[in-house]
Amino acid sequence: MGTINVSRKYTLAQKIYLYYIIKGMLINLKRFFRGLFLQENWTIQYPEQRREYSQRFRGAHFISVDKNKTENCTACFLCETVCPAECIHIIAEERPEDENTYGVWKEKKPASFDIDLLRCCFCGFCEEACPKDAIKLSRDYEMSVATRDEAIFDLNHLKREVKGRG
Amino acid sequence: MSNSSFEITMPKVDLNYTSAKTPVHSDPNPEAKPLPKVTIDGKAYEFKPGDTIMQVAERYNLHEDIPRYCYHPGMPIAGTCRMCTVEVEKAPKLMTSCSTPAGDGMVVHTRSEKVLKSRNGVMDFLLANHPLDCPVCDKAGECELQDYTFEYGPQESNFKEEKRVFKEATTKKLSDKVTLNMNRCVHCERCVRFTDDVTKTNDLVMLNRGWHKELAATDEKVGLTNDYQGCLTDFCPVGALTFNDFRFEKRVWFLDKKPSLCDGCSKGCNIEVHHDKEIVQRYMPIYNEKVNGHWMCDEGRLSYHTYADADRIVSPLVHDQASGRLASTNWETASQVVNAKVKSATKTLVVLGTDATTEEGMLVKGAFANRAEVKYHSGFGDNKALDHLLRQSDKTPNTNGLKAIGLSPLAPTDINGNDLVIVIRQGRARLPKVEGQDVILVGVYSREEIETLKTSNVRVHAVLPSLATIEKDGSFTNCDGHTQSFTAAVTHRGKSLAMPRILAALVGEKR
Repeated sequence: MGTINVSRKYTLAQKIYLYYIIKGMLINLKRFFRGLFLQENWTIQYPEQRREYSQRFRGAHFISVDKNKTENCTACFLCETVCPAECIHIIAEERPEDENTYGVWKEKKPASFDIDLLRCCFCGFCEEACPKDAIKLSRDYEMSVATRDEAIFDLNHLKREVKGRG
Repeated sequence: MSNSSFEITMPKVDLNYTSAKTPVHSDPNPEAKPLPKVTIDGKAYEFKPGDTIMQVAERYNLHEDIPRYCYHPGMPIAGTCRMCTVEVEKAPKLMTSCSTPAGDGMVVHTRSEKVLKSRNGVMDFLLANHPLDCPVCDKAGECELQDYTFEYGPQESNFKEEKRVFKEATTKKLSDKVTLNMNRCVHCERCVRFTDDVTKTNDLVMLNRGWHKELAATDEKVGLTNDYQGCLTDFCPVGALTFNDFRFEKRVWFLDKKPSLCDGCSKGCNIEVHHDKEIVQRYMPIYNEKVNGHWMCDEGRLSYHTYADADRIVSPLVHDQASGRLASTNWETASQVVNAKVKSATKTLVVLGTDATTEEGMLVKGAFANRAEVKYHSGFGDNKALDHLLRQSDKTPNTNGLKAIGLSPLAPTDINGNDLVIVIRQGRARLPKVEGQDVILVGVYSREEIETLKTSNVRVHAVLPSLATIEKDGSFTNCDGHTQSFTAAVTHRGKSLAMPRILAALVGEKR
């Protein structure tokens, strides 16, 4: 690998250097005073103040449950099939007969239902494919985690009682 | 009533019982009478007298043009579903193609407007009571009702009434292998005809009539008893009958399908191995007129568990002198140990299980030509048919093939006097009784088998895992003398090796 020395031609103003620093500082000052006197702020005080998102914003997933807190998911694998990021991993099993008070429409259940959030691209195809309205995307956008393992949401994490949409 | 003028005359040509899937051609000799011809969708096809229109279509691979529920090529004709109706010129009404004998010069249309309208109506009636629980149903993806609804069915139902529900038969276990969901049934009665005419066990009946028509086991206490229950779930056009072993395991659209041979008995049924990412999920029979027809037995269908077993040994084991146990090792160490053992043995016997392919038999015979005696062993004795269909008493696939390459069977006294016995066996043949000799095991073994051997005081020197039938290429000769070759259906994910490399490790030669 050779090194290429590139020589640029600088104008006099650029060589003096001070001119552009003053120009930049003036922009800062302008914004500062406009914020101070005209309340023209572009940032918010985040944890206390929150931005309004669209009603159709797609955030963290959840699995809707019924009155008895049983998940609506029947492990049909349609979301896993349609998922372009391949972030959903389901293992299906038969619901034990003594627990199954619903009859045939809930005889199949997910033994495990994992969503790898780091792979997910939040396209919402899973929500669209779901025939039972089980998997949905909420408007929750705070999904920061400390380790990669925590970013894999399991069934217990996803399952929660839903009031309205998110 | 002796002077009654009412007489029934039988048709001159009997209808063919099952469909052949091969085209027929007229005798090229000009003096011979040419075969009759029927025109289907503008093209003339020759057929054998006695064929129905559907059977002609089957012969020429036109089965996608004629939808069907009750008709199955391996079973007698019923004509109950009315899905296969076609328009025959000069006939006043639509005809069911499965039960109308084809005539010379008949002109058939399978896709005319009238036919499509009829099929649409039939689908509407079938879907009137079908629960449409495709997300839960295991058949979704290979369901004929689903496929034909996409192709012919109405977009919207004309029925606003509540669907019929069989409360007691929604999830009913007909046996430990088959589950019935009566709500999904479209009453094609393939299953009833199968138990009546193919297995001849008369296990299933349709109770009641009309709206209340319901499938049930003939004897509720006994349930389904025949040995071909998996076939019921194969040809059930909807998800009414599902196989418990596969139930809820995998959606069918994830499965890769590769043809192979069943090695569960000496019949050698043709199968399709369905696997997802090299994990076998089930076996399905594929049609072979000469060997298995359309069917396969449950024992063979479930036999993949031997190979997809969590306890199968997939890494070489060598006897450790210090601990007195079999320890997992790598192939370099294992081959050094077994090679030294084979060289130091004064008299060696090789017992080749009859689940080895003919090619492996030749290899073993060649490798031990001057070193040891090679005998084949099945452990099941002489083969005899267990029923009128497929099941055989010899549970190993290739006894005839190994006989054909000139090997002789193992006599009980052969083992005495040897100081090393090499047992080669792929999970199907029984283990020979060995006492007092050192043993090297080659092939497919489970942990349980090795442990039983150790408790019965057999000195197992090493275990060298090899590939199973579905993981390798080869050929088997079945009980009727048909030689069938097959290729690997799945890739082995463990450390097992193919037979040539194991033999190289044993005799210390590169092959």
